[in-house]
Amino acid sequence: MQQGDLTDRLSAQIESLQGSFRKLSKAATLKDLAGQFAGVVRGMFPGADVDLLVRGSRSERWEYLVEGGVQGAERLSALPPEQSTSLCRVHETPTGVCIVQKLVDASFIGMVLARKPQGPGAGEVDVLSLRLFIHLFDTAYQDMLYRRNEKELIFSLNHRVLQLNSLIDTGIEVSKLDHNASPQQLALERAASLTNASKGVVRVTHKGVLSEEICFPADVSFKTAVDERYRIMTSFVFADSTYAFELFEKESRTGVLPFDETDQLLLDALARQVHASLENRYLHEQALEKQKIEQDMAVAASIQQRILPASLPPIAGYDIAGINIPSKSVGGDYYDCIPLPDGKYALVVADVAGKGVPAALLVSSLHAYLSAYLEGATPLVRLAQRLNTVICRASTDEKFITAFIALLSPETGEIESVNAGHNPAYVRRNDNTVHELNEGGVALGMLDIDFPFQSEFTVMEKGERLLLYTDGIPEATNERQQMFESATPLKELLARHKPDQAEIFIKDLIGDIKRFTGNEPQSDDITALYLLRR
Amino acid sequence: MEQQFTLTSEVRDDHLIITTSGYVNNVGGEAIAAEFSRHFQNGIHRVIVNLAQSKVVNSIGMSFLIEIIEQLQDTDGKLIFTNLDPAVEKMLAIMGLFKFAGKEASVDDALKSFVGPQ
Repeated sequence: MQQGDLTDRLSAQIESLQGSFRKLSKAATLKDLAGQFAGVVRGMFPGADVDLLVRGSRSERWEYLVEGGVQGAERLSALPPEQSTSLCRVHETPTGVCIVQKLVDASFIGMVLARKPQGPGAGEVDVLSLRLFIHLFDTAYQDMLYRRNEKELIFSLNHRVLQLNSLIDTGIEVSKLDHNASPQQLALERAASLTNASKGVVRVTHKGVLSEEICFPADVSFKTAVDERYRIMTSFVFADSTYAFELFEKESRTGVLPFDETDQLLLDALARQVHASLENRYLHEQALEKQKIEQDMAVAASIQQRILPASLPPIAGYDIAGINIPSKSVGGDYYDCIPLPDGKYALVVADVAGKGVPAALLVSSLHAYLSAYLEGATPLVRLAQRLNTVICRASTDEKFITAFIALLSPETGEIESVNAGHNPAYVRRNDNTVHELNEGGVALGMLDIDFPFQSEFTVMEKGERLLLYTDGIPEATNERQQMFESATPLKELLARHKPDQAEIFIKDLIGDIKRFTGNEPQSDDITALYLLRR
Repeated sequence: MEQQFTLTSEVRDDHLIITTSGYVNNVGGEAIAAEFSRHFQNGIHRVIVNLAQSKVVNSIGMSFLIEIIEQLQDTDGKLIFTNLDPAVEKMLAIMGLFKFAGKEASVDDALKSFVGPQ
């Protein structure tokens, strides 16, 4: 071949080489690359048949990438060992050329070209061209691997960002208190998605008994999932229930894999978020409940404020004082002094079983019925019976009222009284003795029968005193759980302390109780009504 | 709660509409890719993937979607996702799928966007 022809031909092949590289650089897989490359070779050697094969670094077996029907596998396998392990070896035969090129990842590409004779001397240029082309393949292969690695790296980095982002989002979503779906269901879905698990389950057991099972996907049952090879799990205990999260079979494009450390960390983190969410929900519910109780108490306090007397009516020839100190914001105690149309006065002290709104409403009922019956001049015994009936119907089974009701005729000092299951009232006589008023009947509202009440009569002489009270006074306790009554019996206190103003007696009584109880919180309402006949 | 994967498809005016239901994982991704390939070989290069009933997608499922997008890029085709759950939309965005694929609220919107300027 002439020098000029050779130069022209090589120049044309180099130009073709550059164009071919651009084409090869788009290949995404080795098979694609081989297919493209075979096309380039066929373009350079029209009519030539080409086989392209690949062999692993430690394998003896050639595998076809492109099969052009030239028995490439047999020919390459027949090459001497040193020719198939060198960087690039060319072996010419009368019917073609075998080229083996070691690739960047230590595997081998083998090309077998069966070409038609093109005249004397043409073989040398062809072999040179083929060497260049097989290098081109290696370079394109390196480029393809580089691009693939770069893509995988970007994908992997994006996936890490996705995992972190989803972890944050899931934390926010499971902590939403108005979330319709259960936090454990959301966390399970996210955990499966972020770890590429094919399925998962959350099992909630309460004291060893399964109370809830959530499967992902929903149509996978836990019984089938337990047979899977690869799994990770985590659990926590909340409110005597164990929440166990389990994931199965990590997916990949090449089959199922064992989970890795990151997967376990993600599952642990998501389960912790559910745990925190459940705790927050519990605390939120507690706060709401407390808020509701406080609102109830405020309503009840408002009701009671309207019922308890702002001041007691003056009674000619008498001095009267009363007090009510609720133990919480609202108590169930009641007292009043009600002037009647016939000139008498009704003195009342009552104690409703319970506290809060129900107790306040019942006190309200008592106040309304009592006022109505007193207005109608109902005899005291009959009044007690009627109150028992109406309170019984107005209250629940566990609610009743103990009450002491006395009708005072101011001019004579006569008192008619009924004790409906309440503490006895005391009359301090001028001879320093204390007389108990205890006749009556059962607590109001306790039994829905026409229970017979009895009243009793006594007379307060000038200088004598009457004390009505609720059990919050004798049962006031100190830090050693001793009762006020045991240290200061009320009857004794009443006998020895006889100030000339009712207000002073009440003030001193409360002072004594406060000193006795010290820092111990008040356990019950304190109510007292003190009447002094001048 | 998410079910196991199923899909349906239809061709409307040379647009392939794939509607999925359930977890888009390895199985789901493979099924979408197979359905796409079947129509891609017949010259369909405009694809809509309706994920209304798929609220959970994993990265293996996404890798199949990325391959479809790459194949369409080589042929000046396009893929548009529709009816995306916000969590899925965020996942696809973080993984960079919307750099090369579109998203629309509904299949009808996607069809209109194919008709309009690309």
